[in-house]
Amino acid sequence: MNFSSRLRRIPFWSWVWFILGTLYFLLPLYATLDFSLQMERDVIGLKAYEKAFEDKDFIETFTYSNLLAIATIVMSIILIVPTAYWIRLRLPEARRIVEFLTLMPFVVPAIILVFGLIRIYSSSVMIPFTDIVLIPPLTNYKFGTNILVVAGYMVLAMPYMYRSVDTGMRTVDVLTLTEAAQSLGASWFTIITRIILPNIRAALLSGALLTFAIVVGEVTLASFLGIDAFGPYLFLLGQHRAYEPAALSFVSFILTWIAMGLIQLVTGGQGQTTGAH
Amino acid sequence: MAEIALPTKKKSIFSSDLKKWLGVMPFFLFALLFLILPSLRLFVGSFTNEEGQFTFANVTQLFTEQSILDAYWLSIRISAVTAIGGGIFGFLLAYSVTVGGLPRSLRSALITFSGVASNFAGVPLAFAFVATLGRTGIITAVLDHYIFQKYFGIKLYQTGFNLYSFLGLSLTYMYFQFPLMVLIMTPALDGLKREWREAAENLGATSLQYWTQVAMPVLLPSLLGSMILLFANAFGAYATAYALTGGTLPIVTIQIGAQIRGDVLHNPGLGYAMAMGMVFIMAVSLAGYSWLQKKSERWLK
Amino acid sequence: MAYLSISNVTKQFGDTVVVDNFNLDIEKGEFVSFLGPSGCGKTTTLRMVAGFEIPTSGKILLDGKDITDKAPNQRNVGMIFQSYALFPNMTVSQNIGFGLRVRKESEATIKQRVDEMVGLINLEKHANKYPYQLSGGQQQRVSLARALANRPQVLLLDEPLSALDAKIRVSLRAEIRAIQKSLGITAIFVTHDQEEALSISDRIVVMNVGEMEQVGTPFEIYNFPKTRFVANFVGSLNTSDAEVVDPAKGFVSVDGVKFTAAEGTENRKKGDKVKIAIRPERLSFASEHKKANVVDATIENITFLGSVVRIQVKIGNTKFNMDTFNNPFLELPRVGSKEQVTCSKEAVLVLDE
Repeated sequence: MNFSSRLRRIPFWSWVWFILGTLYFLLPLYATLDFSLQMERDVIGLKAYEKAFEDKDFIETFTYSNLLAIATIVMSIILIVPTAYWIRLRLPEARRIVEFLTLMPFVVPAIILVFGLIRIYSSSVMIPFTDIVLIPPLTNYKFGTNILVVAGYMVLAMPYMYRSVDTGMRTVDVLTLTEAAQSLGASWFTIITRIILPNIRAALLSGALLTFAIVVGEVTLASFLGIDAFGPYLFLLGQHRAYEPAALSFVSFILTWIAMGLIQLVTGGQGQTTGAH
Repeated sequence: MAEIALPTKKKSIFSSDLKKWLGVMPFFLFALLFLILPSLRLFVGSFTNEEGQFTFANVTQLFTEQSILDAYWLSIRISAVTAIGGGIFGFLLAYSVTVGGLPRSLRSALITFSGVASNFAGVPLAFAFVATLGRTGIITAVLDHYIFQKYFGIKLYQTGFNLYSFLGLSLTYMYFQFPLMVLIMTPALDGLKREWREAAENLGATSLQYWTQVAMPVLLPSLLGSMILLFANAFGAYATAYALTGGTLPIVTIQIGAQIRGDVLHNPGLGYAMAMGMVFIMAVSLAGYSWLQKKSERWLK
Repeated sequence: MAYLSISNVTKQFGDTVVVDNFNLDIEKGEFVSFLGPSGCGKTTTLRMVAGFEIPTSGKILLDGKDITDKAPNQRNVGMIFQSYALFPNMTVSQNIGFGLRVRKESEATIKQRVDEMVGLINLEKHANKYPYQLSGGQQQRVSLARALANRPQVLLLDEPLSALDAKIRVSLRAEIRAIQKSLGITAIFVTHDQEEALSISDRIVVMNVGEMEQVGTPFEIYNFPKTRFVANFVGSLNTSDAEVVDPAKGFVSVDGVKFTAAEGTENRKKGDKVKIAIRPERLSFASEHKKANVVDATIENITFLGSVVRIQVKIGNTKFNMDTFNNPFLELPRVGSKEQVTCSKEAVLVLDE
């Protein structure tokens, strides 16, 4: 009759695409799960998971990656929240350049970033034209490497963290909130801790979860900087084991799912995506 | 009076400006140390020879060294195939849950799926595909049993198919490519106003005329832009390819990785140039994406 | 035989009746407004004429032909949307020519008609611009031209002015009316704005929760509302509880203060509870000239509204608004002073409680 009513008939092709998409999405997961349950011959069981979780190296690298993720999240918040706040409040003219910088990691993928980081920080950084050492070679000792890794992760997470925080600040209109708080006599400390942070906590949480999803399984920076994180561990495990890596891959997937689910929850469905691999 | 007042005024503006900019200094310092300097190092390095002198040789060598050209060409092909394939498939999925008439609940399910899948990459994704389409993968077994051995008398892997190849890597990349497309195209399709369709009908247009003359032209910038983004997304991918093929498929990122580990090109400058070439392609892609996105937003706000 | 005839049309969405037994005949060249609050079914009725909704029952005849079940792209009916609905990928000219292009008219016809339409809405200078480069008012004019380019038999306007600024709204409304008159086109105009409906229409259909409350000229609707809903919705109104004192003479009492109504009491009994309604502009001070009703009132509040001064008075225990035209020589009473207020018998509307 007319096409609005025609659309209300069973949308055959839509179902076809949807089912194909679902299959593409679920089959690898099903295959991984199925494979991970077959460690013992003729028995379906959780043996591979037991083995994987028991491994001392797993516990160590996984804990380490989580610590790195937490460090990255905390440092990112400390760096980005005041910057984004200051730009909204006093320095809108810096918006363009800061936004440009936060988007640069899209142009400089992880492999290029780590290339540059290694070339710069594997030797001392000097003040130009002098012999004064500004930064000693960071890759030579563990603490230095950790700084480098966390900084690298902060760069990788920057586009998402900044966008998340900035959107959060725009939606609650921090400028008006700040002026209202000031007119009521609040101090700067009170304004930041009692007004701004609580109001952008959904944005912070979603940025943090996304950072977590990026960092915990990250393999490029970790392996080139030679740290014992979960990503390189899983890769090595895959070289000489079959079932445990499948089990851990499935677990990784569940973790990603949880992180994304929580983001959906805290942002009310306005999910984000990293889209950089 | 004026001559005296002017400089003081200028000075106060300057100092308050300086104070304002101090607030963003930590951020600029961080970006300088961990983003700009490393990039600059590679940039300068790509114009420096082994004696430390300025040269264009590295950049020109990019275009003469067959292995490098092959690597770029392979990366470009994989990225283009997964961008176009993932783009079309993702668009059809986004279409099916927006204007395609599927129930509302499926839409939120698909969006959640896509959020997860577009973030699921690297080693776990590679392993998942090994378990699916690897030599002993489940789908491999199913395809062998029900199709290949039954009708052709051979196994899938005897046809020349290999997960650790161009096709295999492309199929793996598709896993995060099409969900990314879904996430970008869903809002764009939502931007198609119901009134446009009604206005077109009201003016006598058929459904086909509406799609070819209104909906598709309106969506085109967004569609193209998203595919370019998908291209860049695949072009910069390293971990998934490395975990899947272990470095046997010489795409650009894998080559750069080998160069970092140990100067396989026997010329550090050439390695930097190769990295810069990649940054250049990424930058051009993303500039194209953001230009098209702006054009699209003007129409679909 | 009317040009457009909507008869016994009912529309249900599931169990909800959105339009209930709608009957209306519209003459050729007539401008009819559907007026009512949101959810009253006015837009649904319009969309049934356009073909975007199919009536659950009833018939729609256009120029003698049944169009009830015809697809929207098979009827020659022009529609204007609240959100303009211009195609963003086309220029002004391309938008206007769209309907002619999909009907495969010749290039020459398209060009000639587009030029004519662009001239009609005075946008010659903007013919090659894109919609996002135009103001809201200009966009809606393009939308009007686009609908008219097809030479539709009926023009349907779905709250076309609601998204615009107050000033543009008034000027564009006059422009729409002028163009409609000059082309002699039949038009249905949906709005929730009573001033808009009163100023633009030949006839108004007031609707409420799916039903037609009253059909009449703007003059009839405003001055002789048949239902309490119409009286309340169109224009501002003082209402008060009252009791019938003498049905034959039209006497009613508000807190013991007696009013005489011209009609509305004859079918009631003494002691019946009713509502009376008086428009603010029908009340005036009795010092000027006295009418049938003269009552004592206390001045409560005076608000200056520009061309009108609104005086709130208390009659008995009920507050009434009284509107007086502003003029520089107006002598206003003091707040708290006692005055006499008057109105005619015809001004007192007696309505069901």
